[in-house]
Formats: sequence, structure tokens, C-alpha cells
Amino acid sequence: MRRPGWWRTRASAAMVLGAVTVLVGAGVGSAQEPATLQMWLAGPVGTVNAYTEVIDEWNKQNPDVQVTTTFMGDELVKPALLPALNAGTGPDIFEGGVGPGQPKSIIDAGHTLDLSPYYSSLGWDKIIPSDVVTRTSSGGKLWSIGQSVQTTVMFYNKRIFEEKGLQVPTTWEEFLAVEEALLADYPTVVALPAGDGWPISHNQTALWGLFAGPDGLDDVLYGDGRWDDQTFVDATQTLVDQYTAGYFGPEPLAVGYRDALASFFRGEIPMVFTGTFMFPDFLPKLGEAIADFGAFAMPNPVSGKPTYPFESVAGAWYINADTEHPDEAARFLDFLNFSDFGRATLLRNAVVPVGEVSGEGLATLPTIFQEILKMNDDNRANGSVEAFLDTVIPATVSAVTYDGLQGLLTGDVTPADFTAQVQAAWEEAKANGETMQPGGVAQP
Amino acid sequence: MRQRASSPFRIRASLTAYGFVGLALLLWGFFVLRPTIEVFFLSLYRWDGIAPIRTWVGLDNFAKLAADPIFWKALGNNLAWLAMVVTFNVSLGLVTAALLAQKIRGRLFFQAGYFLPVVQAGIVVALTWRWIYNPDGLLNESLDLVGLSDFTRGWLGDRSLALPALALATGWAGFGLAVVIFLAGMQGIDRELYDAAAMDGANGRQAFRHVTVPGLRNVFTVVLLLEVIGAFQAFDVIWGTTQGGPLHATEVLATYMFKKGIAEGQYGYGSAIAVVFMVIVLVVAVISIAVRERGEPADG
Repeated sequence: MRRPGWWRTRASAAMVLGAVTVLVGAGVGSAQEPATLQMWLAGPVGTVNAYTEVIDEWNKQNPDVQVTTTFMGDELVKPALLPALNAGTGPDIFEGGVGPGQPKSIIDAGHTLDLSPYYSSLGWDKIIPSDVVTRTSSGGKLWSIGQSVQTTVMFYNKRIFEEKGLQVPTTWEEFLAVEEALLADYPTVVALPAGDGWPISHNQTALWGLFAGPDGLDDVLYGDGRWDDQTFVDATQTLVDQYTAGYFGPEPLAVGYRDALASFFRGEIPMVFTGTFMFPDFLPKLGEAIADFGAFAMPNPVSGKPTYPFESVAGAWYINADTEHPDEAARFLDFLNFSDFGRATLLRNAVVPVGEVSGEGLATLPTIFQEILKMNDDNRANGSVEAFLDTVIPATVSAVTYDGLQGLLTGDVTPADFTAQVQAAWEEAKANGETMQPGGVAQP
Repeated sequence: MRQRASSPFRIRASLTAYGFVGLALLLWGFFVLRPTIEVFFLSLYRWDGIAPIRTWVGLDNFAKLAADPIFWKALGNNLAWLAMVVTFNVSLGLVTAALLAQKIRGRLFFQAGYFLPVVQAGIVVALTWRWIYNPDGLLNESLDLVGLSDFTRGWLGDRSLALPALALATGWAGFGLAVVIFLAGMQGIDRELYDAAAMDGANGRQAFRHVTVPGLRNVFTVVLLLEVIGAFQAFDVIWGTTQGGPLHATEVLATYMFKKGIAEGQYGYGSAIAVVFMVIVLVVAVISIAVRERGEPADG
């Protein structure tokens, strides 16, 4: 017969042992829990792309720092990101626009981490080109890492050119002759999806850049230049002349971007001026048929002026100023953008990271892409101009631009009116503090 | 024995009722009233959606709105949209319901078919009709096929046709609701009235005019109210096709409010548009209800 209290003693011992086990387990568990970086990207939910591939590899190599991604739909910043940042529930890493007109409000609100300390410690000062730094910095501080470099070129259907006995034009006169020859057989010679306002801005940006040159554009973006200068009026008139000549087809305002590209890739339209951003979407669908298409640089309409490569930093990666793991986030961005694996993966998926792209990396790109990059390299000595002005100017100015471009096609707006409207919107944006001053990172 | 007004039973019953209503009021207050008041106050500021400090501008946003030609264009488009969609839905809904009220074979199949577009998401309707109206789309191809090539055009790129084209798309997607409501109303009309009309020598058209239509008076006002409010809320079909273009030809208040407030980061100005929008819809709704109640017999 057991002593009274026998059960009490053993129950007490079991409880103490259990409590110690739980506490030790929790301590051990928390010591082993990895740091988690939450990353938000634009795109449909469930997207699998180059970025997710690099993230998977990072997670394998870094069990102590795990990156989780959330695709927030096509519209990331305003509907999703801003409310989250305001509420203090934003992600550790997010993508956003570049300067001078896109990210100022987020930077001024103190939501972005100053990446300057990592600029030299992680060797970014030796990789990121100065013009990219200009777009991603202000006040002597680096605020983001450029995601990729995108370019705009005139894509053309090789079969159609061969059938018509046409050569790739290298001067504006040759280009006009090609358009005229194609107009005989094709109602639309150059696809211009004006139903969506923004694609016209690619043509507009290219012509403005060709007419003004790199210095002329920078003079307005960062200096005291004006969009209503006669240079931009003349460039706009060239766009209108292309339309009135019939090269954009009878109903460009009725055509959306995806429909226009589909028509181009079906061989119904000989040419389209657009950006390499469409490659990740269309390349898998085209497969080997991509070999039927080529690209050339838009010649300069201004006699005696060179051709420039049109290049834009398409978005940038930001680190949340409130992140609990800033060093880990910076290391991750370094891996994503500048490691051999990261850069090779991005290139293989037709995403060109900022900085020099090596020969081995180039070989993984589709042939047409390699030709485009070589073309840009050949013309780079002339300087480069923005491919997408609407990605570096404030959204309010872009809205006026899109409306004005449609107005040019309807005849409601003249080139002088258009440039005046853009200038007025630009002045209002600057007065409201929506633009950043020229960037650059202050060296310690 | 009669219960006194302050009997424990009545007090307990009242408290229970207030409890249930209070919970609903709380939810309504938090998710509807509070954001509405926030929007009103936001309309008195200039704010980009991210800055920690909002700049007080008072009624400047409303003054700017009054002088904004695009706002007035959007309002005009909304009223035109209202007229087109409501007329289409109510008239076609009524006629279709009258036909479906007949005892015909496959009636249920037709009813389901007419109602199917109603349950489609707006973006599906937008994509479908964008394809139909495409210059190479179904409509132009059909016109070519029947020898009417002269009538082919870029429907959504034509500033005079884009809004009616999208109104037709919305009407196609929405008139099924009016059909269902009218059909339910018709089934509530006393059959003896039709028998009496037949005995008096009325034909089908006369019976429709003198029996069906008066019998649906209350249903009319319900359908009208629903269609008017729905028409003012037009957004997804327009946003999924033209986004208010070309050159604001299809801009309505909802798309303009979204562009200004969200896309361009002018939250204060977008809120001002929202406030004015809300007032307009409230006024129209109140007028509709007043018209309905004026026609009803007094109680007692």
C-alpha cells in the first residue's frame, strides 16, 4: 500500500518536468527560427518567374534567412503597398518606381531604407552604372536597386520584309520608304495600340529622345528645361505625321496593347515599336517562332543626329525602413541582382539586370534579345535616352500625357497644345514636390 | 390581463431587439458610416496617400472640381449612361418577361439563359465585349459577312460610339435581373383580371397595357431604383475595355474618381469626387423612393 501523497509527489514532479520541457523547447525553437523576409511583387497571384526561381535558390542556400513572396496583382503600389506601409504592416522588400517622379512620396514618408551603407560594402559601386544610380538615389543617398534594364526597339516581321524585298532601314528616309512600301499591302504598317494610352508614349518618348538627345531630356527632368520647347513640338509633329500618313492604321484608338501584339506576332502587322518587357510574357508562347522576328533601332528623324539606345530602369527594389532584418534584406538583394546565379537566372528569363552583362550570360538570351543588346551597345557611345518617360515622371504628368497623345490622334490637340499641357502638368508636379533632384550617392 | 407598457416582458423583448439591431448598426457604422465620414474629411485635404501629414485645403478640391471640364464630362456621360442602360434594361426586361410568362416549352431554359450574364463578373463581360468590338472582332466580321462592310469600324475607338457600345454590353449583362423581377411581379397579378379583360374583348396587347403594366407599378419602381443605382456604379465594364477613353469619351464618375484618387495619388481630390458622387446618387435615390411612395395608397 503506497504512502498517502505518493501520487501528489509524482504528479508535481511530472508537471515540473513538463514545464521545463516546454520552456526549453520554446527556447530552442526560437533560437532556431529563421529570419523571414516578406517580399511583395506586382503580378497575378501564384506567378512563377525568374524572381521566384532566384528566391527558391536563396532559401536553399540560406536556411537562416527565408524569403517569402506575395504577388499582389497587377497594381501593387497604390492599392496595396501604400496602405500597408502607412499602417506599419508593409513587407520587408517591395518593388516600386524610379526617379525623378515616381518614388519621392514613399522616400519622403520615411518608408524606404537608406541603402548607401551597402553601396560600397557589398560592391554595388563597382557594378551599378552611374545613370542607374541617378534614377535610384537622391540627397546623396541610395534608396533602391534597379530591377532590370528594358529597351524599346522597332520589331519587324522578317518574312514580310523578305517577301517585299525590304532591307532594315538605317536612316529616317529609308524608314519612311519601308513604311510606304508596306502600306500598299498592309492597312496597318506599325501597330500603335492607342486604345490603351500608355503604348503611344513609347513612340512619343523615342521621338522626344531622338530630337532632344540625352542632354536635352535630362535638362528637363533634372534642370530648367521645358517640355514645350520647339524641339519637343517638332518631335510630336513627327508622330502626328506618321499617323496622318496612315502608317498606324485606320483605327489605332480601337486597339489595345495585347491585341496589337497578337496581330503583330500573327503576321498581320509588319512592325511594332515596343519594349523588351513583353518578352517574358510572349516568348514562352512563341517558342521557336520568335526567330521569324527581328528588331532595329528607330533611326533619327533629325538629319545629322545619331541614333540612341532607348533604355529605362524598369522599377526598383526597396527595403522597408521598418524591417527588422536590414542586413539580411540587403544581402538578399545583392544575391538577387548581382550574384552569378541571380544574374544567370534573370537573363535566361529575358530579364536584363542592371550592370554589365557578361558573354556567358548573354548566350542564354534569345537571339533577338542578344541582337537588341548588341545594337544598343553599338550605339551607346552616342549616349542613351529613356525608353519610358512615363515611368520616371509623376503619375499626374503621365495621365496628361496619355490624354494628350490620344487627343493628337483625334485631332483635338495640336503638338504645341500637347507639349504645353505636359509642361503645365510638370510645373504643377514640381511645385507640389512630386519630383526628385538629380541623384548620386555621397561617398563617405 | 393586458401587459403594461413597462412590463418586464416588454422591456426584455425590447432589449433583445435593440441588441440584434445594435450589432448590425455597429457593423454598419464601422464599415460604412465611418469610411464615409473619413472620405468626407479627406476631401478637405491634399494628400498623396503616403505622406505622414495631410495638407488642409478646405473646399479647394470642390472648387477645383467645379472648374474641371473632365468632371463635368464624366457626369454627363454618367447621365447618358443612365438613360441608355435603364431604358434598355427596363423596356427589354419587361417585354422579355411578358414573353416568358407565356407557357411555352423550354421556358425555364430561356429564363436561365437570360439570367446567366447577370451572374458573370464584370471583367468577364468586359473582356467578352472587347473581343466582340475589336476591329477584327465578331461584330465587324459579322457585318462583313452579310455585306455591311461599310458599317464596320473601331467601335471602342470611336468617341461618339464607344459609350453606347459599352452601355449595350452592360445592358446585355444586366437586363436579365429586370426580367426575373418583372416575371415574379407578373406571377403576382390576379389571373381573374386577365379573364375579365378577355371577356371584355381585350387582345394580348391590350391586356398587357391595361392589366399587366398597371399591376407591375410597384415592381417598376423597384426595378427602376435598382437600375438607376446600378447605372451610377458603372465601372468594371468601362475599366476593363477603354478605361474611360478615348479621350474621356467613356469616362464616368467612378473611373475618374479611381484615376484621380488611386492611380494619380490625389486622394483628397478623388475623395471630393466621391463625396459629390454620393450626394448625386442619394438625391436620385430619394427622388425615386418619393415617386414610388407618392403613388401608393395611404394606410388606415
